[in-house]
Amino acid sequence: MMNAPLTMPLLKIDNLRTYFYARSKQSFVRAVDGVSLEVGQRETVGVVGESGSGKSIAAMSVMGLIGPGPGVIGGSIHFASSRVQKNLLEGLDSFVKIEQENGRVMAVSKDEPGWQKASERLMSGLRGREIAMIFQNPRASLNPYITVGEQITEAVRLHTAHKSNKEARERAIHWLERVKIDSPRLRFDSYPSAMSGGMCQRAMIAMALSSEPSLLIADEPTTGLDATIQSKIVDLMEELKSETGISTLLISHDISVISRLADRVAVMYGGAVVEYGPARRVLDIGATIKHPYTAALLASVPSEQKIRDKAHLQTIEGDVLDTINVPAGCRFYARCNQITPEIYEKCASLHPELVEVAPGHQMRCWRYAVKA
Amino acid sequence: MKKYIQTSAAVGDFSKLPLLQKYALADLLYVAYGLLIVALVLVSYVLGIFNLLPHDPQQINLELLMAPPASGGYLLGTDFMGRDILSRLIVGIQAYFLPGLLAISISLSGGIVLGILAGYWGGKIEAIITYVTNLVDSFPRLVLILLVIAAFKPDIYYIMVVMGITGVPSVTTAIANKIRFLAQKNYIEAAIALGLRTRVIIFKHILWYNCRALLIIHATLGMGEAILLETSLSYLGFGVQEPVPSWGNMVQSGANYFLQGSFWPSTAPALAILFTILGFNLLGDGLNNILEDRRGK
Repeated sequence: MMNAPLTMPLLKIDNLRTYFYARSKQSFVRAVDGVSLEVGQRETVGVVGESGSGKSIAAMSVMGLIGPGPGVIGGSIHFASSRVQKNLLEGLDSFVKIEQENGRVMAVSKDEPGWQKASERLMSGLRGREIAMIFQNPRASLNPYITVGEQITEAVRLHTAHKSNKEARERAIHWLERVKIDSPRLRFDSYPSAMSGGMCQRAMIAMALSSEPSLLIADEPTTGLDATIQSKIVDLMEELKSETGISTLLISHDISVISRLADRVAVMYGGAVVEYGPARRVLDIGATIKHPYTAALLASVPSEQKIRDKAHLQTIEGDVLDTINVPAGCRFYARCNQITPEIYEKCASLHPELVEVAPGHQMRCWRYAVKA
Repeated sequence: MKKYIQTSAAVGDFSKLPLLQKYALADLLYVAYGLLIVALVLVSYVLGIFNLLPHDPQQINLELLMAPPASGGYLLGTDFMGRDILSRLIVGIQAYFLPGLLAISISLSGGIVLGILAGYWGGKIEAIITYVTNLVDSFPRLVLILLVIAAFKPDIYYIMVVMGITGVPSVTTAIANKIRFLAQKNYIEAAIALGLRTRVIIFKHILWYNCRALLIIHATLGMGEAILLETSLSYLGFGVQEPVPSWGNMVQSGANYFLQGSFWPSTAPALAILFTILGFNLLGDGLNNILEDRRGK
C-alpha cells in the first residue's frame, strides 16, 4: 500500500491499551484501555475528559513517548500520510513477557533496551517531521538556555530542505510571523524567559508547524495560560487550521476549546472512549441522545444560557475512576445519575460496548445499547 | 489579518545589550582577574619553554646566597643555593601546566562518559557505576597517590593521573544528577517529540547548554587543586623533585630559612600559589554565574 488513497484516515488508533505495571499491587494501571480513534485528512479530532481519563497518555503513546519503564502498549496505531505508512506499535509486543496466575499478573518482564530501540526505529523520521506535538505549559517546553529563534531554526534544519543557516533562519522568522509574534526579527534572539506564556506557545506552534507535518498533536495547548491568552491561542489555531488544513489530534479538558476547534469529538472516561461522534452532536447540550458522562460534563461548564437563567453549575459527584481496580460493570456506574431500574443490573455487572446510535456517532452506555 | 501589539518591557534583545547591563560587575571582575591569571600562566609557560628567563634557574651563585629581593640583579632575590627565585617561579609553572591539564581532562572525560551512561541509561549500568565511583571516592586520595609513588616513582604525571582518576566520581555524580533532573523537564521531552536524535539531545541540549557551567567549574577548580596537591606532596617530599623547580618544593625548601629572617624564598612561591588558585577559582565562579544567568530569572 504505497499510495494510500486520500480517503484512508491519516491516523487510525485501534484498540490501544497502555498499561503500567504496579509491582506492589501486582496488577496493571490501565491508563488507556481499548481506545479506538480515527483522525482523517484535514480533520481535527478532539479528545475530552477530566484529569486521569487517559487522554494525555493516549497522545503520548502515539508519539512513542511512553518511557521504557514498565509501560506496556497493545493494539495498533496506523499512520498513513502520503510519505509514510506504518503501524507505530509494530512488533513492540515481543519485548514484553507477562506471567499470569489465576488472573493476577505475577510478573512483567520487559526487554527495555530492545523496546526502546525498536520504538526509536519506528518513530525515527516521524517525530517532528510527520507528527509534531505541542504541549501544555509552553514555557517549560522550550529550552531556557537557547534562544527561541535558534530552537525553531534547529527544527527547520532538521526536517526541511532549508539546510543552510541563513535560509533556515529566514524560514524560522517566516513561521514566527505566521504565528503572529510581533516583531519576529527581534524576538528571534529572545530567550524563553523573556517571553510571555502566550508567546512561548506561539513559538512552540511555529516550531511544530515549521516542518509542515501531516499530523499535529496538541496536548492541552491552552492549559497554564490565562484566559484571554487562551482564547487568542485558540484563534490562532483556528486560523492556522483553515490556512494549512493540518490534521490535528486535540487533547483538552476544556470543552470550550474543543468545541471551537474540533470536527469530531471523543469523550474519554477511565481510560476508555465513552462517546465518539461529530462535534456538533456530541457537544450539543440539547441533544436527546447523550452519554450520561458527556451530559454531566456539559452541565458543569458555564454558558450564557445558564448565566441568564441564574442556574447552578452542576458538579459530577465522586472521584475519578481508579484505573487499577477497574470494575466489572460500566466504569461510570458509581457516579452515573441516569441509571434506570431496567438497566440497573447490567450497569453494575457488565461493561457496555461502544455501539452506533446514529451514523458516525458511537456511545458506550446500556441506556442506548438496549434501544439499539 | 488581526495584529496583536505587545507592549512588553522585556524586549528580549539580550545579546546586543552592553556587558555591564547583562551581568553583575563582580562576575565580570572575577572573570577579568581569572583571565589575567590564565594569561600570566600561559606567558610564563611559553617563557619557560623558550628559556627566555632573567637568569638560568639552575645556576648557583655562591656569592649571593639568600640575596634579598631587588639586589644584585635578582628581582625577587635568590634562594639558599643562590639561584634566581623569579626564574624558578616562571619555570615552576611547568610542573603544573601540562600535568594539571592531564588531570582535568581525565576527570572530565571520564566523568562525562560515566555520567551520561549512569544518568541516561540508568538500570544496571547506573548501579555498577555508582558502586565503583563510591568505592573510588571513599579511598583517601593522598594514600592512593603515595601508594602509586611507592610502586612507581615520584613523578608529577603519575600523581596527576591519580588525581584525574580520583576526580572522576564527583564529575560523574554531577553530570548524572543533572541528566536525571533534566530528563523530567518538559523541554527535553519536547526535544524528543521534535525528532532530535538522542546524541544531539545529550551533547547539545544537555551537556553543552545545561552542563557547561558545571564543567567549567570542575575544570578551573581542578587546576587549583592540582597546584595545591603538588604543594602538599612537596611538603612530604613526594612532589616534584629538586633540582627541578616547582612552587611546592620552593616553598618547602625556603621554609627552612623563614625564621632566620629570609622570608622571600618561600613567600614568593606561596603568594604565586595563592593568587593563581584564587584566579582559577574566581574565573570558574564568574563564568558559572555568567553562563547560568542566560536563562534569566
